[in-house]
Amino acid sequence: MANRFQLPNLGIGLGLRTKHYSTILEQKPAVDWFEILSENYLRTEGRPLDFLDRIAELYPVVMHGVSLSIGSTDPLDRQYLSELKALRDRCKARWVSDHLCWTGVAGKNTHDLLPLPYTEEALQHVVDRVRAVQDFLGAPLALENPSSYAEFAGNSMPEWEFLGRLAEQADCALLLDVNNVYVSSKNHGFDPLTYLSRIPLDRVVQFHVAGHTDHGTHIIDSHIGPVIEAVWQLLAQAYRRSAGAPVLLEWDAEIPSFEDTHREALRAREFIGAEA
Amino acid sequence: MNRQATVDALGLHERASATPERAESARPPALGSAPSWTEGKLDLRAQQQWFAAIISTPQDEPAPVDARSATRLITSSATLSPLERIDIYRRGYHARLIECLVDDYPVLQYALGEDAFEALSRRYIARYPSGAPSLNYFGRHMAEFCRAEPLPEPGFAADLAALEWAIVLSIHSPTAEAIGFEDLGQVASERWPAARFRVNPSLRILRLEYPANAYLQAYRQGQPMPAVPGARPTSVAVYRTGRSVWRLELEPAMVTLVESLGSGVPLEAGLSQVQASLAHETEQEIAKKIAHCFQHSVSSGLFSAILL
Repeated sequence: MANRFQLPNLGIGLGLRTKHYSTILEQKPAVDWFEILSENYLRTEGRPLDFLDRIAELYPVVMHGVSLSIGSTDPLDRQYLSELKALRDRCKARWVSDHLCWTGVAGKNTHDLLPLPYTEEALQHVVDRVRAVQDFLGAPLALENPSSYAEFAGNSMPEWEFLGRLAEQADCALLLDVNNVYVSSKNHGFDPLTYLSRIPLDRVVQFHVAGHTDHGTHIIDSHIGPVIEAVWQLLAQAYRRSAGAPVLLEWDAEIPSFEDTHREALRAREFIGAEA
Repeated sequence: MNRQATVDALGLHERASATPERAESARPPALGSAPSWTEGKLDLRAQQQWFAAIISTPQDEPAPVDARSATRLITSSATLSPLERIDIYRRGYHARLIECLVDDYPVLQYALGEDAFEALSRRYIARYPSGAPSLNYFGRHMAEFCRAEPLPEPGFAADLAALEWAIVLSIHSPTAEAIGFEDLGQVASERWPAARFRVNPSLRILRLEYPANAYLQAYRQGQPMPAVPGARPTSVAVYRTGRSVWRLELEPAMVTLVESLGSGVPLEAGLSQVQASLAHETEQEIAKKIAHCFQHSVSSGLFSAILL
């Protein structure tokens, strides 16, 4: 069964991090695909692009952004979108994703993934902007559910309803981060299985897994350490009910060796079966 | 002086969608009161402007929110108040940008000390908030910022920042290979006077008041350093060939040669400019210095093409 967008199931991938560049280029390890952080390769003409060019010749690449700011009330940044499109063409990225969030307003960028109020007003605003971005890119945009630490008092619907209605109305793809579902479920007190059962899983074109840090009173999406069992179990649940989609491990703090990082990613096989 | 390689700095301000763990360092929020425009029903833009204003306020300054007004914006969780939840984002905002500046300026951080550098970074973030989608150039104002800050030796800090920023810029400049003597050997002798040279596109020549390059090199090699070295004007070339970033201290004649050729003048005119700058020396010394400067420039990889 293919996802609604007929995007390929690339298998099990890794977030491309500079620490691993040398290992990847020298040893050319058998990895299904890499996800790049788009902004690491924007506004540069130099060495980061040299590495990306060489890696993109060897492996399928997917682009994951953090500055689209799809929920911001500032106008869409057309220059940023042009740069994104050029980078996609350069590295032949299979698709482009970003987050259901906003990163700044009034011309400033906080470089954080800030939460949206889940209201009808915000929904219509984001639907319109996702459509505009997809028109510009000429391809579906995949939006990721964020980790969040705060909820707006004016919310009129839960995140899963907002995300589901957004996906249907804007006809966009989803990147389902099961670690983010877990983190937010603990921070806001909802059942993660309810979340998984209420979003259109046929629109999921990619899964994320990652580690996090539990501070007792709240959980931070730190992308540190291995993936905990409960998050793997959420992946298993979601994957079984989806059309099948590639799985990617994000590891961004105290990054271990390439071999150890890849080994952790490959644990996904235990939870998604032989399909991938 | 031999050129010195800068350790691989490719991880500079690598972005991630993660929340920095540094954000969890305890720092009680400084609270103010909500401005009048946040009263009543808030549309999406107003909510975003308020939220952004709160989290981007320096952590030792009163943010435009208090315990009562925060409940109009954010709900409490089972374990955290609205203010505590917003404060996670406030800490994260500052921590992420401080991390970026630490990536760009590790030696300046060493020279000032971690606490002083963090304080400097917080003032920098307040003075130069980011407006770009990428953090690649967020730290670009640090040298001028240091010069105006109440630091123990602002001139030295500014020179160190200028040197470290030149390293960042060389990483993001276009990649070019260097020409060598074998390339020069293919040029017919009658074409030499009119030959033009393209300098490495990543090359920047810094004129510094302090020996910041020697300080940086000592830091890299783990050697003991004075807290603030005495003033000693130097010129330093910072450039990249392939994957390596180089720092090379230049004598004045070499600066003249590279800058004149870099401006596009033919070799003959460039050498004349060097000759004029050495007018106080004997003809023999001038000839010797010119030959040395040219050979050293080529062997150091400062030129990327000969244009005939």
